[in-house]
Amino acid sequence: MDFGFAEEQDMLRASARDFLARECPKAKVREIDRDEKGYDPQVWHDMARLGWIGLVLPDEYGGMGASFMDLAILMEEMGRNILPGPFFSTVALCALPLLEFGNDDQKREYLPQISSGHAIWTFALTETSGRYKATDVSLRAAREGGDYILRGHKLFVADAHIADHILVVGRTGESTSPEDAITVLIVNARDPNIRIEPLPTIGGDRQFEVSFDSVQVPSDSVLDKVGRGWNIAEFVLQRAAVLKCAEMCGACQAVLDTTNSYAKERIQFERPIGSFQAIQHKLTDMVIDLEAVQYLLYQAAWAISVGSPSPWQISAAKAKANQAYQRICIDAIAVHGAIGYTMDDDIGLYYRRVKAAEYAAGDSDLHREVLAAGLGLQVS
Amino acid sequence: MDFRLGEKELALKEEIRKFAEAELPADLVRNTLIDGEFRDFEFEMSVSRKLAQKGWLVMSWPERYGGRNASLFEQTVYEMEIAYWGIPGAWMGISGTQWVGPCLMMFGTEQQKERYLPSIASGEKDGVWCTCYSEPNAGSDFANIRTRADREADDYIINGQKVWTSAAHRARWCWLAARTAFNTAKKHQGISIFIVDMKSPGVTVNPILNYYGRHHFNEVFFDNVRIPASNLVGEENKGWYYLMQSLAFERRSLAPTTYGACRRIVEDLARYAGQTRYEGQPLSQNAVVRAKLADLAVDLEVLKMFAFQLAWRISLGQIPTYESSRNKVMSDDVMKRVAIVGTEILGAYSQADPDSEWAKLDGAIQGAYLGFPGQAIAAGTAEVEKSIIGQFRLGLPKSY
Repeated sequence: MDFGFAEEQDMLRASARDFLARECPKAKVREIDRDEKGYDPQVWHDMARLGWIGLVLPDEYGGMGASFMDLAILMEEMGRNILPGPFFSTVALCALPLLEFGNDDQKREYLPQISSGHAIWTFALTETSGRYKATDVSLRAAREGGDYILRGHKLFVADAHIADHILVVGRTGESTSPEDAITVLIVNARDPNIRIEPLPTIGGDRQFEVSFDSVQVPSDSVLDKVGRGWNIAEFVLQRAAVLKCAEMCGACQAVLDTTNSYAKERIQFERPIGSFQAIQHKLTDMVIDLEAVQYLLYQAAWAISVGSPSPWQISAAKAKANQAYQRICIDAIAVHGAIGYTMDDDIGLYYRRVKAAEYAAGDSDLHREVLAAGLGLQVS
Repeated sequence: MDFRLGEKELALKEEIRKFAEAELPADLVRNTLIDGEFRDFEFEMSVSRKLAQKGWLVMSWPERYGGRNASLFEQTVYEMEIAYWGIPGAWMGISGTQWVGPCLMMFGTEQQKERYLPSIASGEKDGVWCTCYSEPNAGSDFANIRTRADREADDYIINGQKVWTSAAHRARWCWLAARTAFNTAKKHQGISIFIVDMKSPGVTVNPILNYYGRHHFNEVFFDNVRIPASNLVGEENKGWYYLMQSLAFERRSLAPTTYGACRRIVEDLARYAGQTRYEGQPLSQNAVVRAKLADLAVDLEVLKMFAFQLAWRISLGQIPTYESSRNKVMSDDVMKRVAIVGTEILGAYSQADPDSEWAKLDGAIQGAYLGFPGQAIAAGTAEVEKSIIGQFRLGLPKSY
């Protein structure tokens, strides 16, 4: 066993940390919070030039050919800085399944645009149930002539307002099993029959209700095969769960660092509050939560990197991250006292994003089900 | 990075499984898991000898002392599996294989190594050790020990009282921390380590029964116990340094053993839930039961990662500062929750005496439930360990 990073991975982390500290200070995060676009196009294009958007895409599609673990490291740093923008939607939710399931024409057409920063993508799965199972998908994609006609609503679609394309999970037929007859379609987000309405969130990230009112999609827009879409959705949920976990891990690290510094500086009773055991032990619980997330994350990401992904490891990582990120933020506010509850303090920026992270790529219930099945508990 | 176990570790797991199935009585678990004390000492020692014959008992020791230089990863897997199967006899008392032997190799004289290591390595009764650290006024404040060793010609004379001494009633030897200098600037500066023959005149061992009547602890009195000066380990008054090393060895193996024991319980609970029907369906289909067991599985996985991460750091030659404390806190937490969730899943049956015919899962849950509060205190309370993490991982002021 080897828990160490390769030298190039340390370098990637260091350069990402430098870049993000410079280009995405908290003042910028707050500014973007108020901005309609929800991201900084200049930073986006800089990241494309650095090769980050196509980090794991092969050279022939303008990418860097790096490993999934490298991508996790990069996203950990993005999470540390809570970089706003469509990186997760474009890369984790769309570029990865396009690369895995796309045909040659689709990959040649779409992936270079993604690598170069010229196309933003997002993924539409969740509907009114707010959950992620095949039974939750009811959007219809009916075959009419050579096209599919999409009718239905998607909720919590990230970055839809700036997306060029949406991967839409829809039903292309009737079936006895909810997983069958689901198909993923590549849809032009600018189609006039698509209505994109903001779904304002407490996190300040950009999520939307996307309505498909007889949206006509040519049949060559099917990703992989008709009726095989749930396989893709599961792939996306698993990969994205790990990458979201990486973001959360970076965020946990930042919150702990900030809180630890504060505990050393803040004087009460003529002593730094960090000298009190009541405070130290909260910080220690945060350390243990953070390191728990780190190692579960690295294990899951590493397994994907070497081609043996483990749904069980992935679910363990995301379930733990969901619990830890929330707990760390709540304790961090407690250690800060009232200042942690203000707009001016950074902790609130992290705390407000807890729910967005928790409900991205599967909530704890979903992941617990994977874990329970892994223990051999019969499924009802 | 690489999170795979090697061929050796995987083969070892399989061999231990076969060993456990061949050597252990089917109902042994009720006596062993968590609680750690085997009622049948002769049986325990017979297993020690078999473990030695298998080359497992001191696998990570060098060949010249009876080991085979196994990696710390192999050792970690061994500890996990020993605890998983509830195999007795692996520790030679609680300390022979785990910290007395390794510390003697680091700090002992050649004569001491030759005298004491072979009997530990071969699983003989003569190699069973206890560890005399705690005293009535030296618990978490360990450096406050008062037991004294006074030099008299070629001997030391030991006087004092130790408490919470596990396995003292079975041990041939004692690994003793005693004070050799008084009025030092700091109280940890005057401590030395000694080897004491438990058969020496003046040694008295009194049992302390725990709250469910088991005899694991003892109090040990030293009344003018004379030991040869050659039984001093290392240098006089340098004992604190050796103690920190021995505690590091002790705490390292906590996560692997807790992981193994708790993994077994969670698997047993999952099987129980599948076989137990309530309101027309197996308990395993109950959403609450599923969620509780899934949560335990996550934290077990964390504990496993922590165990291997610590082994990895030590195997790189690094000296971990806070990881052993982290692992202790996590181990305590996992054990507590496994025990409590276990009782919730067994329901009213969780109160049945572990030896009664009403006990489910051979009494393993009761053993865990009765055992965890004590385990959480041994080798450093969670509060002390968290303060160590605060100091060494977070750079916060010493708070104790």
